[in-house]
Amino acid sequence: MTMLIHILQALLIVLGAPLLRGVVSKMKARIQRRQGASIWRPYADLGKLFRKEDLAPPLASPVFRIAPRIVFSATVVAALLIPLFRPSALLGGPGDFLLLVYLLALARFFLVLGAMDGGGAFGGMGGSREVLVSALAEAPFLLGIIAVAIVARSTELAGIVGWTLHENFFDVSAVHILAFTTLAMVAIAETGRIPVDNPTAHLELTMIHEAMVLEHSGPSLAFLEWANSVKLGLIMSFLIGLFLPWGMATSASMPSIALSVGIYLIKMLALAMVLALVESSVAKMRMYAVPDFLGIASATGVLAVVFTVFGGK
Amino acid sequence: MNILAFRSCLIILLGVPAVAWLGGRWGRRLGWLPSGVLMMGLLAGILTGALQLGSSSSLTVDLSDVAPFAFALEVDRLAAFFLLLICGVALPVILYARSYLPRHYDDVKSQWIWALSPLFLLSMVLVVTSASAFSFLIGWELMTLLSAGLILLDGTSKERLHNLFIYLVMMHVGAAAVAASFFAFLPVSRDLYFSSIRASSLLLTPETRTAIFLLAFVGFGTKAGIIPFHLWLPKAHPIAPTPVSALMSGLMLKTAVYGFVRFSFDFLGGVPGWAGYLVLIAGAVSGLLGVLYAIAEHDLKRLLAYHSVENIGIIYMGLGAAMIFQANHIPAWAGVALVAALFHTLNHALFKSLLFLGAGAIADATHTLDIDELGGLLNRLPTTGITFLIGCLSIVGLPLFNGFVSELLVFQSFLAGSTLKTLPGQIVLPLMAGVLALTGGLAAACFAKVYGVAFLGRARSDAAKTAHEVPFAMVSGMSLLAIACIGLGIFPAPAIELLISLVQTLIPAASLPSELFGFQRFLVPTAAAVLAVTLIAMLAKARRRVTAPWACGLPGLTTRMQYTSTAFSKPIRAVFSVVYKPDRKLEILPADRPYFPTSISYRSVRTTSFERSLYRPMVDVVVALSTQLRRWQTGNIQLYLLYIFLTLVALLAVVGLQK
Repeated sequence: MTMLIHILQALLIVLGAPLLRGVVSKMKARIQRRQGASIWRPYADLGKLFRKEDLAPPLASPVFRIAPRIVFSATVVAALLIPLFRPSALLGGPGDFLLLVYLLALARFFLVLGAMDGGGAFGGMGGSREVLVSALAEAPFLLGIIAVAIVARSTELAGIVGWTLHENFFDVSAVHILAFTTLAMVAIAETGRIPVDNPTAHLELTMIHEAMVLEHSGPSLAFLEWANSVKLGLIMSFLIGLFLPWGMATSASMPSIALSVGIYLIKMLALAMVLALVESSVAKMRMYAVPDFLGIASATGVLAVVFTVFGGK
Repeated sequence: MNILAFRSCLIILLGVPAVAWLGGRWGRRLGWLPSGVLMMGLLAGILTGALQLGSSSSLTVDLSDVAPFAFALEVDRLAAFFLLLICGVALPVILYARSYLPRHYDDVKSQWIWALSPLFLLSMVLVVTSASAFSFLIGWELMTLLSAGLILLDGTSKERLHNLFIYLVMMHVGAAAVAASFFAFLPVSRDLYFSSIRASSLLLTPETRTAIFLLAFVGFGTKAGIIPFHLWLPKAHPIAPTPVSALMSGLMLKTAVYGFVRFSFDFLGGVPGWAGYLVLIAGAVSGLLGVLYAIAEHDLKRLLAYHSVENIGIIYMGLGAAMIFQANHIPAWAGVALVAALFHTLNHALFKSLLFLGAGAIADATHTLDIDELGGLLNRLPTTGITFLIGCLSIVGLPLFNGFVSELLVFQSFLAGSTLKTLPGQIVLPLMAGVLALTGGLAAACFAKVYGVAFLGRARSDAAKTAHEVPFAMVSGMSLLAIACIGLGIFPAPAIELLISLVQTLIPAASLPSELFGFQRFLVPTAAAVLAVTLIAMLAKARRRVTAPWACGLPGLTTRMQYTSTAFSKPIRAVFSVVYKPDRKLEILPADRPYFPTSISYRSVRTTSFERSLYRPMVDVVVALSTQLRRWQTGNIQLYLLYIFLTLVALLAVVGLQK
């Protein structure tokens, strides 16, 4: 039963991720008083891309085709670590939060390599910007998790989530507020959303993520887009699990699981709403303002760790 | 059995130069002989190390009867680990050197390299297996001189000699500090056998202990290349013949880690907390600045040398954490941190040698180490390309490769810092995780740059366009190291268990926490899952077509329009500009018409702040003092006789007054 639930969690996050993206786009469109595309549109896009031919530049090495697949697989495996509606997941163990952070880093490394293999001018440009953002995001990412891990006295994601689940929501500590601020800012940078990067950029010179996938097409592009959706889904679920786990099922009985799935979906929807609001009301930053943004995230991360000394209360 | 293997290792390493000389006389047909014999000696060393690492009794070879001074060797668990590391990593390097050397050096030079490199290896073996200060110091000095000799074989241009001079001066300052830290035991120790040193350390006054620790920190830190003693490292490593660069960066630096662990944990039996913080901060500074300097480089070997500074920094961070835990009486986590540091030492030896050998293969195929001249090499050098990629993934610390496991253990010991009872440790150790994460992120940026610019994209020069794969022996040397990196990345448990039994001899009563083996629960499933999903994704069939890359719809996209390594690292250099402080010089001619120039020249020279503000004043003082001293050195022999006479009188006066 537990195994079944874990597999269900993994499937939901991998297969449902494009829907999440469709929902965010739809919300953004409605906030901007547009009709917007159907929320199922990302699936149609993926289906179309999978049927198209795979274009590659001349002299591109095998890395050009393998990289998108590794990006996809590393992201999917990272998704297996996230507890959704039970405080446990398919993969895990002491120190697994480092595995999460570094699997995303593995995906990013191959994303950059795939971009550089195109042999054009934009791949390197996107890669160069991406490594800057991610290098600066890694420290606050880990500091945020570590602060929460210290308070929860567990180095396991499932353990941290389980600890928070048994605490009272109104007992929320300064550490949690600071760590949430840190990780929310990191999440924006990691998933390449406004104000760090614009996922719907049309001008090559302003792109980060889009510049990296510029040369990819067909199934390769489909894998990259799908991986990107999964990443958004897993980071949002990760934030929910770490800071708002209330409503997760503590027993493996059918009704409690059904209830917790419902609560999880509502929480995701709420978070998607927040994301759409932020993206509609804030303008994209200049590239060299991003280090300041992540510097603030690092500062709150450091403060979160410092505050753990006071026991997190 | 063990003693036989160890003796044959020593004797064979000592005998290879003679074989090389004979092989040279018998002609080219026997060119394989020295490398073959040397590899047998290394195998014997591997056997000794492996057997001794698993055994609780130590192995001794005492030559004090034959030698004119206390000359003894002992292989305990710590020594066995480093013996295994040295011989195990040297083996693939020698395999590589076998076909690398004849392609780059004439017979006489190859013969010299085959004569000197076994002795260089022997000196490292001597350092890690010594049981007395004298044999240690002899090994330590030989290691410096032999590596300097090997560097000289690669050419004697003025710049190289200058770099070599810096190397020798700094090594000798370091060696003096190491020697002094040994001699500081003498007032309480009967002799300078390690066993007496260990026994006497309880009798030392706290001040002497502090002095010994600081001397060892400076002495071994110089050899290890800890910032600010790192100045020689990026100067000396890149100018050695490639296999020697691999040995220097992969192995010689590790002897310093050995010495530092031997002093801090074995001789002194633990150091006070402030010493742990000193080591921790030195490691953090080295890690961060090392990788930042590396990012700005586009000479591959120099870039790798700066990454050695970074990785030694990570090792020192682990050692510092171990010292802090030990000083706070938490031996369990001290043990984990020490295991982490030693495991990273092993991993760094593997992937850094692999990367240096890869750099040699690139130089072999394209005759350049400037990555801005390369591009598209993966298609031309497939096996080198794959092994180099494995090296990059390992050094960056990505999951499924060995660097990840040791960094994971370092992270976990930092996190455990929150269980300390004292305030600074409770805050500083977890915050160090942030520093390590930033270092890791920057290292990822650096190696994405190296691999993306050198191996991917389109060739930027004719040399890169027409490169050919290197011969089989070179490829197999790199492949062995790459396999070791993956093996230790997915199945690290056996190695870690051996390290635990080693650490328990240094930190008594360390029953290590179960978190140490947490990775076992997810490492293999993760590897299997990543592999499975990738393979399934590869099966998705698609029609393929080749088209030109996007150039905004304009024709004429040239290879020069690809991002170079300089362009790639520009955003990071801009953000961290405070670290670099380049001296820029822009000259536009003619000066009165800046908008219609006939020529523009631009020069940007980077001297690190350490060179400018720390070493330059020191050198100035030494030069000033020397200038003063020159007045006494007239070259007049009568004057010198007078000096001797005056010295004699002074000495007699001192002796007379004492009586």
